[in-house]
Amino acid sequence: MRIDPNPYPDLLAEVAQTQQQVNTDEQEIASGLSVNEPSDNPGAAALLVENAGQTSEADQFERSIGSIQGEIQSADSTLDSVTTALQQAISLGTEGANGTENAADRAAIVVQIQGIQSQLLNLANLTYQGNYVFAGTATQAAAYVLDPSSPSGVTYQGNTGVNRVRVGSQITLQTNLPGSQLFSASGGNVFQSIQDLITSLQGGNTASIGTAVTEVGDASSYLSEQSVFYGNALDQLTSQQTYLASDTTELAQQETTIGGADLPNVISNLTTSQTSLQATLEAIAQTESTNLFQYLK
Amino acid sequence: MSSLNASLATALTGLIAEQGAMQVTTNNVANVNTPGYSREDPVLVTSDPVAIGPLTFGTGVTLQSVESIRDPLLESQIQQQTQSQGQFSTLASALQQTQANFISSTSDIGTAISNFFDSINQLSSDPPNLSLRQGVLTAADDLATSFNTAANNLSQQQTSLDSSVVQTVTQINQLTQQIANLNQQVSNLQNVGESAGSFVDQRQQAIDQLSGLVDVSVISANNSLTLTTANGVPLVTGQQSFQLQTQITPAGLHDVYSQGNNVTSQITSGQLGGTLQARDQEIPAIQGQLDTLAAGVANAVNTVQAGGFDLNGDAGTNLFNPPPAGVTGAAASLSVAITDPSLIAASSDGSAGSNGNAEAMYDLNNQAIVAGQTPTDYYSGIVFDVGNDTANASAEQTASSSILQQLNDQLASVSGVSLDEEAANMVRYQDAYQASAQVITTINDMMYTVINMDTLTV
Repeated sequence: MRIDPNPYPDLLAEVAQTQQQVNTDEQEIASGLSVNEPSDNPGAAALLVENAGQTSEADQFERSIGSIQGEIQSADSTLDSVTTALQQAISLGTEGANGTENAADRAAIVVQIQGIQSQLLNLANLTYQGNYVFAGTATQAAAYVLDPSSPSGVTYQGNTGVNRVRVGSQITLQTNLPGSQLFSASGGNVFQSIQDLITSLQGGNTASIGTAVTEVGDASSYLSEQSVFYGNALDQLTSQQTYLASDTTELAQQETTIGGADLPNVISNLTTSQTSLQATLEAIAQTESTNLFQYLK
Repeated sequence: MSSLNASLATALTGLIAEQGAMQVTTNNVANVNTPGYSREDPVLVTSDPVAIGPLTFGTGVTLQSVESIRDPLLESQIQQQTQSQGQFSTLASALQQTQANFISSTSDIGTAISNFFDSINQLSSDPPNLSLRQGVLTAADDLATSFNTAANNLSQQQTSLDSSVVQTVTQINQLTQQIANLNQQVSNLQNVGESAGSFVDQRQQAIDQLSGLVDVSVISANNSLTLTTANGVPLVTGQQSFQLQTQITPAGLHDVYSQGNNVTSQITSGQLGGTLQARDQEIPAIQGQLDTLAAGVANAVNTVQAGGFDLNGDAGTNLFNPPPAGVTGAAASLSVAITDPSLIAASSDGSAGSNGNAEAMYDLNNQAIVAGQTPTDYYSGIVFDVGNDTANASAEQTASSSILQQLNDQLASVSGVSLDEEAANMVRYQDAYQASAQVITTINDMMYTVINMDTLTV
């Protein structure tokens, strides 16, 4: 049987193919990735796009949690301060309801409670990064302003809007409660109760003072119930942070599984390819042009 | 009765025939590395004998012809495989370039989509914040830029492929003209019974080159060849070549014409087939997908934007300039319509601190707003399609190259020049030549003897 007398094209094709494999292996090792372009593994490349989208989303949720956490913490601690102030007002009111106190004593108590009233107004007008936290979604103006014509002494300028921020692909978290729900709700109006306490102290009727103290107590209780919202929100955020941290790790592992280079295997392949390349080159070098002409004399 | 002169003439035919055979070997050796050369074989036949009386004497040897050793079946298979190789090589190369637009990076479309929606989610945590609003505009601009860049790259590639179509048609016309000329030379020689081996080799090589450029069907008849494309578009008939032309279309691309007919869609293989496939099918399909994605995102965002309120409490206006109707060109023309960050309609109730509409906008990221899929799902589908098409074309190219290599090996085992074989032939012809020469010398001696018989003394 006659054979192909020219082996070089086959050998050179083999060299090119092996060199290509060497280049591919080296690229995988250098990048640490088995999918460097979509055609390397189209299915994996598509999954990596999804993975990148999910990872980016999880990272963003973590950033969003970081952003709203500060505001919620600030609101939570402010409500604690409001509760403390109300407790202080209750103590003063109880003292004023004591029949042994004279008018001058009650007037002094009124001054102190007016100070608390002023403090409460400041607390209700908490701002975080320039936004009024308890103004609903009307965050660009103070939630409450002094208003002598109002029975409670203040007017709520905010609205009843609430915001929800997505902190997980299936989770949105309400981030605020409007002041109207916290400080001037019909079930526990903080400002009205303080104003009533001041008015009753100024009137000097111990029974009325006692009623006003009870009203402040009710407002405080109501506020405490409402402020649970912020504690819960913080707990949810912490829990979601923990989940996102593990989700991010999981996604990173998936990314490696889908598109990461199997380094031991690739290095082994590279060694094989390099050996094969060297052997082919050696074969070409040793393919001496031996033919019958050289032996004819 | 035989004569010494007859013997001399017979011996002389041996000398002439071996010289001719030696010339064939010399030519084979000289062309050992000539691409497309088929080795030649001298066809030696016994000269017609003469009958003298009751006896019949041979009259020597005749070099009847010089035959090129070829295998038409293999040559035909090589042509077909060369067409596939040309097609898939061009297609794979084009798609490799195309898929560069979809390699994961910090600025690829998938990342830009994620960054855009992430910026909206960030804004929803502090809706009045102008820095965050500016962040949304910047991310929207980056998204538009990534679409513009990919669309422009695809357009440029299409233009470049179009130039290649024109160049390839020029090459095809040169080759068909060359083949027609060679047809004439082959026909002229074969009609007078002469060997046209080297012209046939040249013609075969030109056909192989043509097969790399376009699908070719070869019909051989009456010492001549007719070439058409697989779909019957005439290329060469005997000594006449049919030139292909290119004409620019309203879309600015060139179609291929033959004798006034648009034959673009009839060219399916070879480099031209691969180029047309990439230019007219693959790239437009990807452009269409990008347009759908860009228009889907832009329209959905604009719709949500219109349902909300900006920082001034006014109804939202378009965030992106509306994509063209029918979405064609949406990716190339995508742009952000506003420059004032306060115009982002994050609010759902008109108050500055509301983030309801920003959240609705962010939720688009996970809604089926692009042909029934989420933006990221749709984009990952594009990446899969591009990767899959590229991988398939590369695999086809590798397979056709491998088959072509095997076929070429087989053909070389039939038609290739073996120096060992030629050396052996050379020795054979030399020996035969020496023998014939020796016979002539002997006859010469015998003649001398006869001529000088009277002077010879016994």
